[in-house]
Amino acid sequence: MSNLRVAVDIGGTFTDICIMDEASGKVRVAKTPSTPDDPLEGAMNGLGEAKVDLNDVSLFSHGTTVATNALITRRLPPAAMVCTRGFRDVIEIRRANKEELWDTYKDVAPPYIRRRDRLVVSERIDQAGEVVEALNEDEAREVARVLKKRGVESVAICLMNSYMNPAHEQRLREILVAEMPGADIITSSDTLPEIFEHERFSTTVVNSILSPVIGRYVQRMSEQLKEGGYASDLLLLHSGGGVMTPATAARFAGRLAGSGIAAGAIASRHIAMLCGYENSIGLDMGGTSCDVSLVYGGQSRVTKDWGIEFGHPIRFPSIEVLTIGAGGGSLAWIDDVGALHNGPQSAGADPGPACYGRGNDVPTNTDANVALGRLGTSLAGGNITLDRGAAETAVKTGVAEPLGMSMDDAAKSIVSVANANMADAVRLISISRGYDPRDFALVAFGGAGALHGVALAKELAIPTVIVPPNPGVTSALGCLLVDIRHDLAQSYLKSASEADAGDIEAKFAEMENEARERLEAEGVAAKDMLLQRAIDMMYEGQWRSLTVPVGAPFNSVEEAIEAFHRDHEREYAFRRDDAGVDLFRLNLTAIGVTQKAELQKHEKTGGTPSANTTRMVAFDELDAPVDTPIYQHEDLGAGSTFNGPAIVEQLDSTTVIPPGVRVEVDEWLNIRIYVSEDSK
Amino acid sequence: MSDNRTGTGSGLTLDPVTFEVLKNSFITTVDQMAEQVLRTCYSFVIYNRDFSSALNDANGDSIAQGNQDIAVHVGTLHYTCKDVIRAFKGEMKPGDVFMINDPYAGGTHFNDVRLIRPIFVGDEIIAYSQSNGHWSDVGGSVPGSFDVNAREMFREGIRITPIRIIDQGVLREDVANMIAANTRDPKSVIGDMRAQTEATRVAEREILRLVDKYGKDTVVTGFKEVQDYVEQATRQRIAELPDGSWETVDYIDRDPGQGEGLIPIRVKLTIKGDEATYDFTGSHGCISTLYNSAFGATFSGVVAGMKTYFPDLPLNSGFYRPINVIAPKDSIVDAPWPVAVTGFLMPFEKIMNSIYEIWSDIIPERAIACAFNLEYLLTGGRDTRHEGKPMFMFYDWLPGGWGGRATKDGCNVTTACFGTGLQTQPIEGQERLSPILANEFEILRDSAGPGRFRGGAGVVKTSTLREAEDTVLSYICDRERAIVWGIKGGLPSLPHGLWVKRAETGEKEWLGTIFSDVPIKSGDMFSRPTGGGGGLGDPLERDPAAVMLDVEDDYVSLERAKIDYGVVLKVIDIDLAQYEVDAEATKEARREIAKARRGWLAEDPVDIAARYQKGEINNMDMVRRYAVIVDWGTGELMPKSTEQFRESVKIRTADHWNDNIAEFGEAAE
Repeated sequence: MSNLRVAVDIGGTFTDICIMDEASGKVRVAKTPSTPDDPLEGAMNGLGEAKVDLNDVSLFSHGTTVATNALITRRLPPAAMVCTRGFRDVIEIRRANKEELWDTYKDVAPPYIRRRDRLVVSERIDQAGEVVEALNEDEAREVARVLKKRGVESVAICLMNSYMNPAHEQRLREILVAEMPGADIITSSDTLPEIFEHERFSTTVVNSILSPVIGRYVQRMSEQLKEGGYASDLLLLHSGGGVMTPATAARFAGRLAGSGIAAGAIASRHIAMLCGYENSIGLDMGGTSCDVSLVYGGQSRVTKDWGIEFGHPIRFPSIEVLTIGAGGGSLAWIDDVGALHNGPQSAGADPGPACYGRGNDVPTNTDANVALGRLGTSLAGGNITLDRGAAETAVKTGVAEPLGMSMDDAAKSIVSVANANMADAVRLISISRGYDPRDFALVAFGGAGALHGVALAKELAIPTVIVPPNPGVTSALGCLLVDIRHDLAQSYLKSASEADAGDIEAKFAEMENEARERLEAEGVAAKDMLLQRAIDMMYEGQWRSLTVPVGAPFNSVEEAIEAFHRDHEREYAFRRDDAGVDLFRLNLTAIGVTQKAELQKHEKTGGTPSANTTRMVAFDELDAPVDTPIYQHEDLGAGSTFNGPAIVEQLDSTTVIPPGVRVEVDEWLNIRIYVSEDSK
Repeated sequence: MSDNRTGTGSGLTLDPVTFEVLKNSFITTVDQMAEQVLRTCYSFVIYNRDFSSALNDANGDSIAQGNQDIAVHVGTLHYTCKDVIRAFKGEMKPGDVFMINDPYAGGTHFNDVRLIRPIFVGDEIIAYSQSNGHWSDVGGSVPGSFDVNAREMFREGIRITPIRIIDQGVLREDVANMIAANTRDPKSVIGDMRAQTEATRVAEREILRLVDKYGKDTVVTGFKEVQDYVEQATRQRIAELPDGSWETVDYIDRDPGQGEGLIPIRVKLTIKGDEATYDFTGSHGCISTLYNSAFGATFSGVVAGMKTYFPDLPLNSGFYRPINVIAPKDSIVDAPWPVAVTGFLMPFEKIMNSIYEIWSDIIPERAIACAFNLEYLLTGGRDTRHEGKPMFMFYDWLPGGWGGRATKDGCNVTTACFGTGLQTQPIEGQERLSPILANEFEILRDSAGPGRFRGGAGVVKTSTLREAEDTVLSYICDRERAIVWGIKGGLPSLPHGLWVKRAETGEKEWLGTIFSDVPIKSGDMFSRPTGGGGGLGDPLERDPAAVMLDVEDDYVSLERAKIDYGVVLKVIDIDLAQYEVDAEATKEARREIAKARRGWLAEDPVDIAARYQKGEINNMDMVRRYAVIVDWGTGELMPKSTEQFRESVKIRTADHWNDNIAEFGEAAE
């Protein structure tokens, strides 16, 4: 009987597996080391270790860093790009800017396709879509001959102004397909029919070079799952926060770049929504970095302004995640002038923090937490033992002595600086976008999120913190909580005053047809299809657009304009009713709602738990360490309530609860921490 | 240094956590301003990142500047803040916002307009937030406000000395409209005023939040201590370097009022103890174009150049304190009112590159040769694609190559050292806005200055004017004659400058690097290369495998691999871009070049110019082999410029060549 949902999240260090029983909603988790040479091996090992019988699995979803790693390491199949004559360097010229403005020795990453593999054909289409120069088909065949001889497996066809008229790209594709059977040949007008050549070409190149990588990977995985008895489609998590089937992945492999990052943001949104918070901030803190995401009104913030490496944009919508170098392993250091810094350098997993005893003696956040007693010395159910003495020595010699402080003060300082850096990241994603953190709940997860979550919430005046039942594998859970999702867009460059609602409606209807076809092909029933429209707009003369949701059918441009004024004011604190408004792009999000099993609910039995042990813990709120009860998360029944100070430990995480805050364990076993009076 | 910030012995009073939190918060604050400006601006120049943001203290000194600010504004924002304070001291009220764009008060040029808001706590001003952006037009005689014929500012645009633009929260519409009415794009000007005003409010909100949390005194102490901190760090770094003096000279192409001859900018750096003094004595007087720099912009060139060698230090007034700048009055580096200064970018970049060269000797592991020159094309006319033939304005700037480095080649196709955050514009966007079609925009083969580590590659962009009337072309560039130079034996790249090919006659016309209001017609084609970077080290010592890689990827042609590097390659399979180094032929070619090259530099320039006129040699041969400067259109020899350029090539290049290659065909290790 098929009654299990399984999600596999392959990360750089660990492969997390999350197994949910559909009937009970009970979630089981497993962690196994990743196998970077062949990530599938780790996944299949993990499934074996977790004793999952694939015959019992009704839905298998997967988040992967395969695409991201292929891009970063440049371990890519032989690939080429065919461009309009005169424009073969668009992806190398880029916008010509640097990320590191002042350091003349830090360079932008090279393009994904070398110059020799960027070939040209004579052709030209102008900005109105008119043919200025016809496609030279003889040259096209010559290009095909050369590419075939080079053994090229994937080709990105990138011609100027193809977003206005795709005819040349399509014809060129026909010619190449005929001459190069077996190669993946992808056009820019099919990938991203939007204005601006570098962004379109860069996205298309990523899409095409990943196509063979993902194609092979997905095929092997599907086969192995099938052999094991899994009968449905493998679902792949993409950066937009939905899943897609292998058939779609073949066309939009580029959407899997960033797959890994999205999972945590999705899980955090789901948990916050479950708890009744439509607005939430996700804090996913691991060993080397911290990912911050934001949900407002139940929707994750989505951006098209991202990429795996600076200068090489991927313009597929992606859940916006701000990553900063603050993790458990981030190093605390003092500069020449004597100022204290935290990160972004990290001790990583090896040698790791000083308390791992593997040769690093520079204090890390983990060391500071151990020295303060906030983190115990026995982790992962006793599998890892930390050396408190080594942590204290590192804090003493690295920070306390040079700054003339006590060991406790030095350790508190280290943690405070890390928290301040994270608070700045949260401010950038919230306050600077017009959101007030006081209206949000903070979901703290990842290995280290719950250690810092409450302090961060206090710093930002966020009233409530939620720590999920399994903070360390929350990302894998995210893979189980998503719908099938497609994002379609097309340029629509018009002044709002000249725009015709009927024309816009027709364009949307066209996009919806395409979306329905895609969803149907993936077996989604009509009743489970959810189509959401939005228009990118800006004030006449402005250069950046704002995405404004609109209803269906579209029958009033005026309403859309008013919605734009309103959103502009929220986001940027001003509106210009006297100024004209331009339309820039039509967007359609097509969702195939999948049935999501619910997390297991427990009856609230209430009561005040008793702690088995206590230890001395130093808190920022108190001058001296206090004897603090240590609870085990699994011992805390639904409905348990208690007050800080307390520490809650579990296999994959530790939650720090400072004095003066109230704690309740809810029916899903989330720890809810009410930091301020404003808490619900 | 005894004044180390360690423990309680430090001169700083804030505890380390509060200090670090405040320091980072100040930077986040200006970054938030930047984000807001970027998303709401109207000027496409601002949108492509020609803007900056600052937090200034009650004296106007800079507390923090944005991480992504354009280099050319660095070191000027405190001057403009101080000038506003000077003008309005004692008269400022909460909700006021002031505006200034005055280069003679420490600003850069009129296009860079700064909005400055005092931040009040009670009746006390504790700080100012400042948003500076390049407006696309501020009036004057040509679209875009860059008139190369301007000798005085009266043709350049509107000069805004400090004014109150927002009076206790209310926009002074009369004043705003008057300013907007003096520009070609009043709507955008009002829009940018609005966007920048709101950005200064973002900073005010953040600073008041910090005041709420930490108290006014702590925050104000933080303002002072982040500057003291950067000052100490800078002094410490300088003190670690040996005392000494270094000097160099770089050139502007010409003074059109004086005939041919390069215009020198001399820089002498003296490091003594923990201070660095830059002395421009001996630099040329003001010239009769807009390529002059007022003092603020010169100071900015020094600070930005030096900051390149200390990329990790935060930018604020603390960084400026150990730096002294001596600039002769009434000179090209300290031009007084009303001398035209809108093209200050040209002297600015010369100062930047001179400082790169000087510091390449002081910190050799971060050495870098000369970068290509910023270029700025302005076209305006009527677009006949649309009804009513609306005006169009097409401003364009290109990336180019940066200089070769101590351990690796220079960066290909990167924005000018004017500010590496500046973005080039998408062609598909340009083609919608203007009736101009791009024929090519590609890396220019062989544009990189050869060297053991070559410069980065430049580009070429060729465009055709389509359906248009009454169209004129202007160009702001340099290094048509003071060619991008190599160092430590590296070769120059190639001359900047623009060609027009007339549709009517089919003739090519060389317009060079500085001209204004040249009429063009539908069908005319114009083409501009940008320089690659200068090379670093003797090109005959470049690894032949590296040269082969460049040929495989078409950065370097087969021919020039031999001419510039003495590397002879055999073609294995052109379809597969496969070549092979002919080791023996390469040794022989390198021997031949090494024997002959000093002689080439001494050949009679008259003969060389004649060979160029006959088409026997090209502009790369001219500058790399013979160091001879001509009018690139007519081939007419520029004797004085040649003499000056040869002197530069001698010192920077030939004096570093390895002569034993003439014997062995390779450098003795």
